[in-house]
Amino acid sequence: MEGLEGSPPAEPEPGREVAAPPVRLLLAPDDLERSRLTVFFRALLAIPHFIALALYGLAVIFAVVLAWFAALIIGRVPEGLHHFIARFIRYVTQVNGYLYLVAEPWPPFFADRPYAVDLELPERVRQSRWTVLGRLILALPALALSAALAGGGASFSGGSISGSSSSFSSSSFSGDFSSGDLVTACAFLAWWVGVLRARAPRGLRDAAAYAIGYAAQVYAYFLLVTPRYPDSDPLKSPAAEHAEPHPVAVANADDLRRSRITVFFRGLLALPHLVWLALWSLVALLALIPHSLGTLFGGRAPERIHAFLSRFVAYGTHVNAFLWLAANPFPGFTGEPGTYPVEAQLPMAVRQNRWITFFRWLLILPAFLVTSALGAVQFIAGFLGWWAALVTGRMPEGLRNLSVWALRYNAQVQAYGLLLTDRYPYAGPVVTWAPPGAPPAPAPLPEG
Amino acid sequence: MSARRVLLGVLGVALAAGWVLLLLWILRTTVPGDLGLPHLSAAGQFDPADLRRAREFSRVERLIALGGILALLGALWLYARRGAVLARESAAGRIGTGMLLGMLGLGLTWFAQIPFGVAELWWERRHHLARAGYLAYVIQDFLSLGGQFLFACFALLIVMALAGRLGSAWPFVGAPALVGVSALFALASPWLIPDQHPLRDPSLAATARRFAAQEGVGDAEVRVQYVKRQTTAPNAEAVGLGPGRRVILWDTLVDGFPRRQVRVVIGHELGHLAHRHLLKGIGLSALFLIPAAFLIELLTRRRGGLREPAAVPLALLVLALAQTLALPLTTTVSRRFETEADWSALRTTRDPAADRALFRGFTHRAYSDPTSPWWAHALFDDHPTGLTRIELADAWEARRP
Repeated sequence: MEGLEGSPPAEPEPGREVAAPPVRLLLAPDDLERSRLTVFFRALLAIPHFIALALYGLAVIFAVVLAWFAALIIGRVPEGLHHFIARFIRYVTQVNGYLYLVAEPWPPFFADRPYAVDLELPERVRQSRWTVLGRLILALPALALSAALAGGGASFSGGSISGSSSSFSSSSFSGDFSSGDLVTACAFLAWWVGVLRARAPRGLRDAAAYAIGYAAQVYAYFLLVTPRYPDSDPLKSPAAEHAEPHPVAVANADDLRRSRITVFFRGLLALPHLVWLALWSLVALLALIPHSLGTLFGGRAPERIHAFLSRFVAYGTHVNAFLWLAANPFPGFTGEPGTYPVEAQLPMAVRQNRWITFFRWLLILPAFLVTSALGAVQFIAGFLGWWAALVTGRMPEGLRNLSVWALRYNAQVQAYGLLLTDRYPYAGPVVTWAPPGAPPAPAPLPEG
Repeated sequence: MSARRVLLGVLGVALAAGWVLLLLWILRTTVPGDLGLPHLSAAGQFDPADLRRAREFSRVERLIALGGILALLGALWLYARRGAVLARESAAGRIGTGMLLGMLGLGLTWFAQIPFGVAELWWERRHHLARAGYLAYVIQDFLSLGGQFLFACFALLIVMALAGRLGSAWPFVGAPALVGVSALFALASPWLIPDQHPLRDPSLAATARRFAAQEGVGDAEVRVQYVKRQTTAPNAEAVGLGPGRRVILWDTLVDGFPRRQVRVVIGHELGHLAHRHLLKGIGLSALFLIPAAFLIELLTRRRGGLREPAAVPLALLVLALAQTLALPLTTTVSRRFETEADWSALRTTRDPAADRALFRGFTHRAYSDPTSPWWAHALFDDHPTGLTRIELADAWEARRP
C-alpha cells in the first residue's frame, strides 16, 4: 500500500489465543483539493458502489451467521469467511471515504486494491467463545457510539449491510438531516465548501475520517473479524495527526479517576450549575449587544466585556466537562482560569475583521450543525462513560478524549459567536493553542 | 463589653421575644377552649372489619416509617463521620464544596431510604392504594432529588456566605433568611403542582365559591389534581399565600366520594386558608429553624462552623436529629391546625352527618386508623384521629344553635 500509513499485520501463532492487533484506518496524504464536478455529483457517482455493497452485504449476512456458528464451535472464524467479511468492511470504508468527501478518487469495486481511505485489518485469531456468543450485546455500546458518529454506518437493517452509504444518499441531498450524525454533518458542510472552493476543509475531513474509522472498528468487532473492542480515542486515529493552530483550545489535565458517588448523582449534582449557567447566559446575551457594537465599529472587542464573556465560555466548559464526565471534580461557579482540570484556553481581545463580525450570525450557522452532531456524540460518550466510571471508578480514556473534543469545538463555536475571536471553529480532533500574537506552539496540546 | 457583643445580646433578646410572640400567635385557635369532646368508642363508630384492616395496615406503615427515620439518621451519622473526605472531589472553593457535600448527603439519605419507600409502595399496592410501578417510583423519586439539591444549594449558599461574613453570628440573619426562602416557596407552590384542572361539576364549583366567600377568602380557587394513575387514596390540600392561594382536591376524592362529603373537605381546606394556617406553618418552621441554626453552629464549631465545608455533613445530621426530636411538637401544632379547619368546615357546611361519614369513609377506603397508639400519634399523626374528628362533629352538633 504505497503512500499509506501503517505496518503489515503480525503473523498469529497457530492454535493460541493472541491479543488481536487493532483495526487501523489508513489515510493517504491528501492535498485536500477536490474536483467541483465530482463533489457536486458525489452521491450519484457512488450509486454503482451502493448496488455492489448491497449485493455484497446480502452475502455477508449469510457469511456472518456461518462465521458465528463456526467461531462458537471451533473458537475461530474459518479463514475464507474471515477474509470475505474483512474485505467487505474495507469496501464499506473505502466507499464511505469517497462518499463523505474524505478522499477524492473514485474507489475500486470490492476493495480489490488499496485506496486513499483504507483499513488494515488483523489476520484471524482465536476468539473467546463467550464473547462470540454475546457479541451482539457486547457490541451495543460501540454500536450506539458509532450511530452518533457515523449514523447508518453502523446499522444493519433492511436485510442489507450497506454501510452508511444508503443513509447518506437518501438524506443529505434531500435536506433531511434527521440522523444528525457527525459524519453526515461534516460531509454536508464539506460538500458546500468543495463545490464553492474546490477544496475539502481539513477539520471536517479529519472529523469524518475519524468517524469512518471508528465505524470500521465496530463492523470488524461486530462481524467477528476481530475480538478486539473498538477504541473510540480520537487521538489514536490517524485523522488526529494534524494539529491545527487555533486561538481557542482546551487544556486537559484530567487523570481519568472518577468518584463513584459523584458519578452516580452527576446529572443532579450539575443542576445548580445548569441553573447558574442559564442565568449567566442571559447576562452574556445582554453583554453581547455592546460587545458586538464595540467590535464592529471599533474593530476590536471592548476589553472588559471580552473578559466577562471569556469567563462565561470558560465556565460553560467547566460545567459541561463535569456533566459529561470529561473531568471529575465539582467545578466552581466563577469559571476562574486555573481551577479545573479541563479548561478552555481563550485569546485576549485583538483586532477583528469587520466583515466577519458583521456577518457572524450567518457564518456561525454551519458550525452549529457540527456542534449539535458532536453534542450527540458527547451525550452517548457521557452515558457510556457513566456506566464505566460507576463500575470501575475510572473514565475510559477514549470516551474522555471524545468528550474533550466536543467541549473544545463547543468552546470554539461560543468564542466565535460571542466575538471573542474571528477564527472559524476547527472541527478536526486536535488543535494547538495559538493565541494571536504568540509564536507557534511546537507540539499539539495533550487533549488526551 | 464590646459593641458587637451588646448588639448580639440585643438581637438575642429580640429573637427570644419574637419566638414567644410567634408561638402564641401560632397556637391561637377559634375552636372553643371549653369544648368538651364526648368520649366515643371506635368500635361503636366504625365497622369492625374496617377497623381491623385499618389497624393492620397502619401497623406496618408505622414500622416502615420508623425504619426510614432510623435509616436516615444512620446514613447521616456515617456521613457526618466520613463525608468530609468527599471535599477532595470538588474544585469549587469554600461554598461550592459545601454545596457538593450538602447534595451528596441528600443523595446518601436517598439511598438509605429508598428500600423503605419501595416497601411502603409494596404495602400500599397490596392494599390497592397505590398504582405506581416500582421502577417508575424509584426513577420519579430519584428525579425529585433534583429539586431538593437545588434547594439545599440555595440554603447552603445563604448560610455559608453569611457564616463567612458574620462568623458564629450567622444564625441571627441566616435563620430568618431561610424562613424567607420557605415563604417564597409557599408563595410559588400553587403553580408547581402538576396536572391541575378547574372543578368541572358546576354545582360543586358554585358551593366552593359560596363557602370561600363565607370564610372571607373569596379569591381562593378550588381546583382538582389528576392523581388516579398513581394512587386510589383520597386527599386534598390548601396551598399558596396571597393571590395564588387555592384548594387542591385529588380526583380520587372528587370522583369517589358523595358530593356532601366533598363539600366537607372543601370547607375544611378553605378553613386552612381562612385561618392562615400556611402562614402559621411558616412561622412554625421559623420557631424550629432559629434554635436549630444556633444548635448547628454550636455543634459544628469544632469543625470550623458552617464557614467550612467540612462541617456540612455534621450540620445535616444535627438538622435531621433536631427535626426528628421536634416531631412531637410539630405534629401537635399541626393537629391543632387541622382541628380548627374541621371546626371551620362544620360551621360552613352545617352538616355533621356528612363529616362523620367522610371520616368513616377514610377508614374504609384509605385504611386510616381512627385510633393510634400514643407513640405513633406523637410522632406521625399530623391530623387528629378519625375518632377524634367524629367526636368533634358530635361536640359541634351539641352546641348547634
